[in-house]
Amino acid sequence: MKRHRTRRFAVPISIVACIVVYCLAAGLSADGGQGNATAEVQTILKRIDDLYRSRSSTAEITMTIITPNWQRTLVLRGWTRGQDRMFVRILSPLKEQGVGTLKIGNEMWNYFPKTDKVMKLPPSMMMSSWMGSDFTNDDLVKEYKLADDFTSRLVRPEKAEPGVIYIESRPKEGLPIIWDKTIAAIRESDLIPLWQDFFDERGTLVRSLRFGEVKKFGTRNVPSVMEMIPRTKEGYKTVIRYNKLAFDVPLGDEIFSLRNLQSQR
Amino acid sequence: MNIHLKAAWRNIFRNQRRTFITGTAIALGLASLIFSDALVKGTTDSLINTATGSFSGQGQIHAAGFRETQETSRVIAGADAVLARLAGDARIKAFTPRTLNFAMASSASEVSPVLMVGVAPDSEGNFSKISEAIVEGRFFEDAATGGGRRANSQDIILGAKLVETLQARLGDRLVLTAAQAGSDDLAQEMFRISGIFRFAIDEMDKGMVFVRLSKAQDMLNLNKGVHQIALSLKDPRMASDETNPLWKDYSSEGNEAVGWPVLFPQLKAVSALAGFATAIIGILLFGIIALGIINTLFMSVYERMFEFGVLRAVGTRPGGIRKLVVYEAGALGLLSSGLGILLGFVVTFIVCKTGLDYRGIEYMGVSFKDLLYPVMTIEQFIIYPIIVFLFTVLVGLYPAGYASKMSITKAMRRTL
Amino acid sequence: MSKMALRNIFRQKRRSLLTSLTMFGGFVLVMIAVGMTDGSFNGMIDMFTRNSMGHIQVHAQGYLDKPSLHKVIPDYLKVGQKIAGVEGVEAWTPRVFSAGLSSVGDKTAAAVLSGIDPSLENKAVNFDKKIYEGRPLAAGPAKETAIGRGLAKTLKAKPGDALVFVTQGADGSLANEKYLIVALVDSGNEVADRSSLFLHIADAQELLVLDGKAHEIAIVAPKLGKVAKVKRAVEAALADPRLSVEPWQEFARGFYLAMQAENKEHQVSLIVFFIIVAVGVLNTTLMSVLERRREHGLLKALGTRPGRLFRMILNEVLLMALASIAIGSVVGTAANLYLSRHGFKFSQGFTFGGMVYDRLLVEISARCYIIPSLLVLAAALLVAIYPALKAARTDAARSIRYT
Repeated sequence: MKRHRTRRFAVPISIVACIVVYCLAAGLSADGGQGNATAEVQTILKRIDDLYRSRSSTAEITMTIITPNWQRTLVLRGWTRGQDRMFVRILSPLKEQGVGTLKIGNEMWNYFPKTDKVMKLPPSMMMSSWMGSDFTNDDLVKEYKLADDFTSRLVRPEKAEPGVIYIESRPKEGLPIIWDKTIAAIRESDLIPLWQDFFDERGTLVRSLRFGEVKKFGTRNVPSVMEMIPRTKEGYKTVIRYNKLAFDVPLGDEIFSLRNLQSQR
Repeated sequence: MNIHLKAAWRNIFRNQRRTFITGTAIALGLASLIFSDALVKGTTDSLINTATGSFSGQGQIHAAGFRETQETSRVIAGADAVLARLAGDARIKAFTPRTLNFAMASSASEVSPVLMVGVAPDSEGNFSKISEAIVEGRFFEDAATGGGRRANSQDIILGAKLVETLQARLGDRLVLTAAQAGSDDLAQEMFRISGIFRFAIDEMDKGMVFVRLSKAQDMLNLNKGVHQIALSLKDPRMASDETNPLWKDYSSEGNEAVGWPVLFPQLKAVSALAGFATAIIGILLFGIIALGIINTLFMSVYERMFEFGVLRAVGTRPGGIRKLVVYEAGALGLLSSGLGILLGFVVTFIVCKTGLDYRGIEYMGVSFKDLLYPVMTIEQFIIYPIIVFLFTVLVGLYPAGYASKMSITKAMRRTL
Repeated sequence: MSKMALRNIFRQKRRSLLTSLTMFGGFVLVMIAVGMTDGSFNGMIDMFTRNSMGHIQVHAQGYLDKPSLHKVIPDYLKVGQKIAGVEGVEAWTPRVFSAGLSSVGDKTAAAVLSGIDPSLENKAVNFDKKIYEGRPLAAGPAKETAIGRGLAKTLKAKPGDALVFVTQGADGSLANEKYLIVALVDSGNEVADRSSLFLHIADAQELLVLDGKAHEIAIVAPKLGKVAKVKRAVEAALADPRLSVEPWQEFARGFYLAMQAENKEHQVSLIVFFIIVAVGVLNTTLMSVLERRREHGLLKALGTRPGRLFRMILNEVLLMALASIAIGSVVGTAANLYLSRHGFKFSQGFTFGGMVYDRLLVEISARCYIIPSLLVLAAALLVAIYPALKAARTDAARSIRYT
């Protein structure tokens, strides 16, 4: 019988972008939770949780994606409200300028100015592989209650640096979280996260998330740069940089609408 | 009784060696026909079984429209009733329900789109060849069969090539993400790789994962619904017959039942070609057997020209000679057919028990673990003997005519 | 001895005729049988190779194992020209592949894109025959598309509709473009048709940012028997370690194994032919020997050694066999020549992937001669041993008295 090729389905970069913003807004770097951690750990985790969380936000982001075959830099503008509304517009490069993605609850639409087409994504494609970036499904789909879903404790690794707190977190049994554990490093002085490593069940380091360049946006100090580096394959990296970031901005419904999506502005 | 008949019958047994050789030749021809026919039926079944027996089944029932749209919400209407009906249907050999949906499988390092199949371990184990294709780990077990091991709803079985793509191993975690039925909600569940199979078919080894039916139903919010019931039939030929009432019987109330010719038009095309080729071979085979009968029968008559000459000399009329020869041919035909039936039965029966071993061929990794079995049918033992008998008599007519017309002196000269 | 053998043959005209007839008949019938099984075997393979995948395929190294957008054949036109110059290449056609989302109106579905050169693809694998509605793609890039039956159903699309396809380009960029649906396609592979989408290769290259590149070049040879030779010739002509040339047995491996299995059953029928021919020869030869007991007794009494008698009988059979084979070859060749043009007509033809199948053609090759010859010779000689032994062991004294 005829041999049939299976192909991965490509997903527009815009989805990558919007989901990155989404998970940032929701603080989905998912490290740490309450459970049987000490009170100190709990405070730290809650701090990190709330680092990027707000009722609404606007941001301008530069995302650089590096793969062995190509390298790209996108500039995006994003709006979020609550946990379920998000809108992202690509500003650069020119070829993709005007492409937009709107997400309301579990529904997602893309708009392509070149073909003047609004495409609703079939639900099954919502979590397709990210041909572009190195963020995985785990980061996107379900938002986990940090408090309930992980068991965390303080640890002291060999090469511990002074002024840094290390927290090891393990997902609770039965949850569809692919990692066996994560280790996060947090700066003691201002409780800013420095990096987070993700491990599989065999103890292999699968990917690393790095935070850097703390800046003041409005009233908050947050790392303005996030780097995701896969460790099991060579030559891949995704870097996200917040150029602008504002929290608790009043945003009307009309921003999260199909009309706005098509307006190209 | 007619004197010619008596004489013919006695003549047969007079020269035992000649009768034996001639009779055996014809009998062998008949036995070959019977055996070839049985083998062909067995092989045709085998080819189809190879293609459908691994997983897809000889026929499938879906909700109408499911095959085109693959929508998760389109479940079989009245599945329980259908399953009950299948259980009581004498035409059905085995059946098993499944859920089918598109999902994304993620391991720690990779992500891949897959077809997620929810299977009922007991019926699926008996139905498809998954358990035989397992190379690591094991197929699903329930408490009843698994020697006490608790049924683990997180079990997932996937193909060797997929495991490689995902950079995973037996026992690793795997997360499946899929859209629930009827809504756009996404469901995400954790699984643990409990088995790895190798079918040597890319579509399966690269693209399919198996989970427990109940788990799939829960995850997809299907509420006991199923997307497909796969069937195998007692008479495989029913499956290839698209007009068979079986398909209409189960295509009611919004469901659709179809056989493999509809599901896999490529298979139908190949099967048609193969069937035709085999038919031609059958005709050719018939030709050689016919030649064989002509050969032996002619010989046995021409041998005895002297005899016939003597008979004529003592007053037998030409018509009498003709009758004699024809009756002899008939008697021989009868005997040979009897012997042929016996031979054919014995050989076919033996091969039915032992099977033909084609196991050297590694196709699909599983199918040729089955031996090839010929299929015996009553028609073979009625139609072919009749044809051989009639043909023998027919063939006897020519030398009969020759013998009756030959001049006595020539006949008695004995040289051929 | 051969002289005597020859004379013996003509002395017993009828017997010799019958024996020869059996051998002749067996030979011709087996000739046809072999030609026909080869023909059907090749016919089945061609169904899938000549009519879609091609007999030979060229890819970048490693593509077949792990397909990727980035594993390309650089400068496919140059490669194609080299291939076209290879002797035995009947046609070649390039292809570009990608996966993405297609959308018509408000319906969206995953689609697998194939960028093809419409005229080359048609020449090689009869692409236009697969179109069941609409018209063929333009010869040059014109932002037109042909989609599979299943995809058309899912998108509720028909010729004249506008389709937007979105995917990721080779440079990582978001690629999207609008195309006009001009044709609906049925390739015979129902599953593939649920997601297949065809563009002109230049349109695809533009969309995917793959200038001058292709993922696959498919090659068609005039006959299946020539595939191995053509494959080697292509490899030699290209002489590029970055490219991999595979015959259909490799890229359609599962199918290949199934065909092998199918072939084995025909071997069983050959055994039956063997038995029947053998029995026929045994019958007449035995009769002839028994009849000539007196003669053989006489010969022995005159001093002929048993060995010579043995060989004489065998020679008789051998000569008849050779004669049957010779005449059989002529008649069989005539029959096979006719059948290779006109073939056996099906009682019910069928259409698959746009091609009409209504007859089975016979394939003529050396096998058509070798197999029947061996079969007849083996059957005849093996079986003649018994009567020959009998002749050799004739008791001179007793035989002479035998009447």
